[in-house]
Amino acid sequence: MSNAIDIQDLVVEFPGTGGTVRALQGLSLSVAQGQVYGFLGPNGAGKTTTMHVLLGFIGATAGVARLFGEDVRRTIARRRIGYLPEHPDTYRFLTGRELLLMAGRLFGLPRAARNARAAELLALVGLETAADRRLATYSRGMLQRIGLAQALVNDPDLVILDEPASGFDPLGRIRIREIITALRERGKTVFFSSHELSEVERVCDRVGILAAGRLVAEGRVAELVKAGKPAVAGAPAVAGGPAVAGESLEQYFIRMVS
Amino acid sequence: MIRILTLAWLVWLEMLRRKDVYVLFILLAAFLATLMALNLFGLGQVVSYLKEIGLLLAWVCSWILAVSISTRQLPQEERQGTIFPLLAKPVSRVEVLLGKWLGAWIVAGAATLVFYALLALVVVMRGGAFGGVVLAQAWLLHLGLLGIITALGIAFSTRLNADAASVLTYVATLAAWLVLPRVPDLVLTARGAGQTGLMVIYYALPHLELFDLRHRLVYGWPPASSAVVLWILVYGLLMTAVFLTLGWLAYRNKRFTRGAML
Repeated sequence: MSNAIDIQDLVVEFPGTGGTVRALQGLSLSVAQGQVYGFLGPNGAGKTTTMHVLLGFIGATAGVARLFGEDVRRTIARRRIGYLPEHPDTYRFLTGRELLLMAGRLFGLPRAARNARAAELLALVGLETAADRRLATYSRGMLQRIGLAQALVNDPDLVILDEPASGFDPLGRIRIREIITALRERGKTVFFSSHELSEVERVCDRVGILAAGRLVAEGRVAELVKAGKPAVAGAPAVAGGPAVAGESLEQYFIRMVS
Repeated sequence: MIRILTLAWLVWLEMLRRKDVYVLFILLAAFLATLMALNLFGLGQVVSYLKEIGLLLAWVCSWILAVSISTRQLPQEERQGTIFPLLAKPVSRVEVLLGKWLGAWIVAGAATLVFYALLALVVVMRGGAFGGVVLAQAWLLHLGLLGIITALGIAFSTRLNADAASVLTYVATLAAWLVLPRVPDLVLTARGAGQTGLMVIYYALPHLELFDLRHRLVYGWPPASSAVVLWILVYGLLMTAVFLTLGWLAYRNKRFTRGAML
């Protein structure tokens, strides 16, 4: 069985004012099917760039990225995935229900399946009562929820979430956690970036920590904080001082990226 | 195909809900009502005068609409960030391009039909008439013309923002409309590379004047030959395909980054 995500020696360069900027510097990582993988790193580390390569928004300068064994540049690679962007921008002139029906049509779902799926997802994210309101009238949290619903419209095997909890209040965050847990129980793969380390600690099977376009640590949360050292061969030694027994993921993260 | 149609439906729905198109309808109706009410230079009673001005207004309105809709589709997707969830679905970039073009073309074509219907109504109210076949031919050729204009607008907007793309589309279509028919006169006076360059421009740019049947409508001439209309439509299709292909070449490897949109 192929991995849900396979990235090998990925390099992404952007033209900058002072020369070329390297957003990713030979990133390699794999996410097995059925895992919940937390992708961590400070702002500008390259998390969103990695996701954008996986989704085909930008081409890599070098290296290979695959989803379920398919090159990400092929449209077919996106049939089994769902994506929630960091900023849940959407077509404000549509209603919540219309957005989900449109997403269903883009995935080629038959009409009856589209209608049923839209109703099911609206209930899942708690937007049944606002389903027929224009998205222009939605609050940020509601837009985040409808964004999550559209990401799940095709019942994806891999869900890529970019800062999924950023627009939510505490109750919304709990709901997101429940949805991620439910996805894992159904054997789905979840790949998500977050700055909410306590959330990551609770729901993730594995985490990867990215700093300056390189993976500096990867493994199970418990193993990482227990070992207190880089879990990636060739990564720089922990900069923030010696390992501390029983440290939290947050403390470990700060030491790794500082 | 379902994905292209879905994207075209999105353009259509946006136009209906944003209500921009209604502004043009109201403007055109106001112009026509003014024309009916005024009797400038004693020409108010001449129906052909009404037809000529009305058709010119319909052409200008549909031109503005076609350019403004087509050039804003792709930049708007990027600016609003909706391109990200869209391309995360199994939608290829060529489908995005074709869906947006089809939507813009359908909206412009439908609006033109309303413009023609309004004009025909006003002309009938003043005791005049349009030849049905000529009117149908004029609308069909107008559709062909709108196909080229919207394809050009989409092509420019693959790499430019909406404002720059619309200015370029206006300039290119105006040049093709007004200057291109004069190029043969210039070719006669030019020499060497200049002459070759003018010939290249003459054949490379679309001949929009071919799609204009307004004189037949205004002066009540008989319908054009069906074969000629068909050939002009084929020519229009070809030019549309050329511009869409150029647009796709510019769009297929474009990098979409959040920072570039803001």
